[in-house]
Amino acid sequence: MMLILKPKKDFEVSVEAEITPDLAEKSEEEIKNFEVWYGKYKVKLGELFEIKKEGDEKKLVLEGDFSRVKWIGRGMPDGEIIVKGSVGAHCGAFMSGGKIVVEGNADDWLGAEMSGGEIVVKGNAKNLVGCAYYGDLEGMKGGKILIEGNAGNYIGEKMAGGEIEIKGNAGDFVGTEMKNGTIIVHGDCGFVGGDMKGGTIKIGGKFDLLPSFKKAEDGWVGDINVGGEGKIVKI
Amino acid sequence: MLWIKNGIVIDPKNGIEGEKMDIFVKEGKIVEESEVNKEECKVIDASNKLVVAGGVEMHSHIAGSKINTGRSMRPEEMRVVRNVAGKFRAVVGRVLLTAPGIGYEYAKMGYTTAVEAASPPIGSPHTHEELDAIPILDKAALPVFGNWHFVFKFVSEKDQEKLQAFIAWAIERTKGYGVKIVNPGGVEKWMYGSNVRTLDDEVPIYGVTPREIITEVVKANEALNLPHCVHIHCNNLGVPGNYETTIETMKLVSGMKNENRPVLHVTHVQFNAYAGSSWRDVSSGAEEIAKYVNKTDNITIDMGQPIFGHATAMTGDAPFQFTLHRLTGARWSNKDTEIEGGAGIVPLVYLPKNPVHALQWAIGLELGLLIDSDKVVISTDWPNGGPFTEYPYIMAMLMSKRMREKELERVSPYVQKASSLPAIDTEKTLYEVIKMSRSLPAKILGMENKGHLGVGADADIAIYDINPNEVDPSVEYELINKAFRKPAYTIKGGEIVVKDGELVAETWGRTFWVDATKKVSMEAIESDLDEYFQNYYSVERINFGVDERWVKKPARLEVK
Repeated sequence: MMLILKPKKDFEVSVEAEITPDLAEKSEEEIKNFEVWYGKYKVKLGELFEIKKEGDEKKLVLEGDFSRVKWIGRGMPDGEIIVKGSVGAHCGAFMSGGKIVVEGNADDWLGAEMSGGEIVVKGNAKNLVGCAYYGDLEGMKGGKILIEGNAGNYIGEKMAGGEIEIKGNAGDFVGTEMKNGTIIVHGDCGFVGGDMKGGTIKIGGKFDLLPSFKKAEDGWVGDINVGGEGKIVKI
Repeated sequence: MLWIKNGIVIDPKNGIEGEKMDIFVKEGKIVEESEVNKEECKVIDASNKLVVAGGVEMHSHIAGSKINTGRSMRPEEMRVVRNVAGKFRAVVGRVLLTAPGIGYEYAKMGYTTAVEAASPPIGSPHTHEELDAIPILDKAALPVFGNWHFVFKFVSEKDQEKLQAFIAWAIERTKGYGVKIVNPGGVEKWMYGSNVRTLDDEVPIYGVTPREIITEVVKANEALNLPHCVHIHCNNLGVPGNYETTIETMKLVSGMKNENRPVLHVTHVQFNAYAGSSWRDVSSGAEEIAKYVNKTDNITIDMGQPIFGHATAMTGDAPFQFTLHRLTGARWSNKDTEIEGGAGIVPLVYLPKNPVHALQWAIGLELGLLIDSDKVVISTDWPNGGPFTEYPYIMAMLMSKRMREKELERVSPYVQKASSLPAIDTEKTLYEVIKMSRSLPAKILGMENKGHLGVGADADIAIYDINPNEVDPSVEYELINKAFRKPAYTIKGGEIVVKDGELVAETWGRTFWVDATKKVSMEAIESDLDEYFQNYYSVERINFGVDERWVKKPARLEVK
């Protein structure tokens, strides 16, 4: 079943709702009673959102402004989420499969530590896309994130696999401590690859190169400070 | 008043080995039957259950700057929520628990007393604030002396009188319980960028050696007749070949004697029991150490048993932690290099398939098995060797060769050639394991009312759902491992705090501290103290230390 959610109001504080396409397969009663956090209070999904079911795909359609709703698609293994608006932080974190399409913008921690699946953002994304949570050793390990607009700082920090593609520009510290995988920035960005051990960063526009990278045949290799063999390639 | 009925009691201190007995509790103490009015007693039916004293943890890092720094540098640890606020306080942490969790988890295992094994003296107000945040347990802290400039000064001047006065002053000021020394001289040398490698290496400026520091401090500790013996973290910790330094250190006290307790407690010996010359050919030196400890009568040790999985290395031994950081590539933090000691912190995971980790695990068990059970205490040196909540695993392993054989299948085969663990047939008895976790640590600490169930003891009692006269730990090791994790009751100071493995009440234990100031003449060191504080300390002497009224429930022990 396809599940359509619409916010009933403008949220005054953040909503933490770990909603995944699995929810679409539950009964209306269960969906309404699904527990989420509204600020410091635990509330039922039905109190915050209008709920409608139609069709027969395993799909979640979020209509309206979800920019204050965090953890959408957290850890989802399959199915699809379409957001006809913007999403809050941690969207698609830990996801292992399925697809999330955000028609608006995404907040911080998009696809953090994801291991599979696909995320498409038609607008911009903020910081820490595909990153590792503080203290963890590996960020994104697989899957793909495509951002059609611009992205912020710390894209793919500690990334260990998969691909992040940004059509626009990105900020500083792209691929910091990267271990594997690919980051493509079609536009400009700031410093790239600090402490990177492996993987590839491809850049279309201007960028700042650290002095700890050495020239190679098709670009630069480093970060030699950590004995890294990451590649920075101009496209 | 409590009447614990028909329990099967094991109480090594009083020589009780699985007798069916009743125990009576009044006003937080264990009393004679005649002292209580049975009709007013709350009756606990302990039929077919094991009744023992509450566990005594003598070496764990439960409070102070390094555990707290460990928490802040490991955000990933803090994502594990153990208890949300409600009836009891919120607790987070996978291995590095927040303060309330320490009290809860020890109690949930039947432990009722725990000692912070290394407190930097200038940080003692912080240590006590954290101790005060730990519920249920009775607590104490051991200030570190082995790298304190006053100690170097008085040792180099060979002035025992001043050294004794200083130790008495320092323990009173920090509201400490005893004398801890960590890598004596080595941490000071680290501040110049290196470490001591033998007992005869000199400490810069002072010219004293670890040999002199240890010998003089032990002499002072004995002259003061402090309840706890000197508690030492040896030099060369974590260095292949270090078992020789450990034995050499133990030999420093040969000939010394104390009627009531050992003269030296060597802690987390697993980390100091390596043979070989590098990490490539490292092997176990546990047999040599066991041979030495078994033939002496004035030394005890604790295991420092590693547990596979997450841990966090943290010791007052910064040079070792720096080496560990270089070895593992893990992040590290260095604490307090400008003060009386220095601590380092490094996140760690023990992996069964890693040859070195597997060997460390085997060495801990070798020490536990090869050493007489009245000379070795169970510990993981939490959080260095892993979670203290795995003590039931250690107990079961010590009691069952079958369990060890099963565990050996999953560890690196390196253990087979580098340690004697696979060949050890010893199986400790339940009585011995109870001794190693109760009466022995209490004896070493000089806590007369802890670790036993005799009349006059504190009513700290654990009741487990096993019948010692029926269970065969060698075969039923899973039952042992399970039962010790889930006491039927934990009773602290006469109050039931845990029932069927679940917390039912939060109480507040005491903080023990030792006052030996009447045994010395403070005047001897007045001018030294004044001079040092004026010239070298960032705090005034008047502001150094902890007043008794700042401690939540202080319990002063005066040394006669």
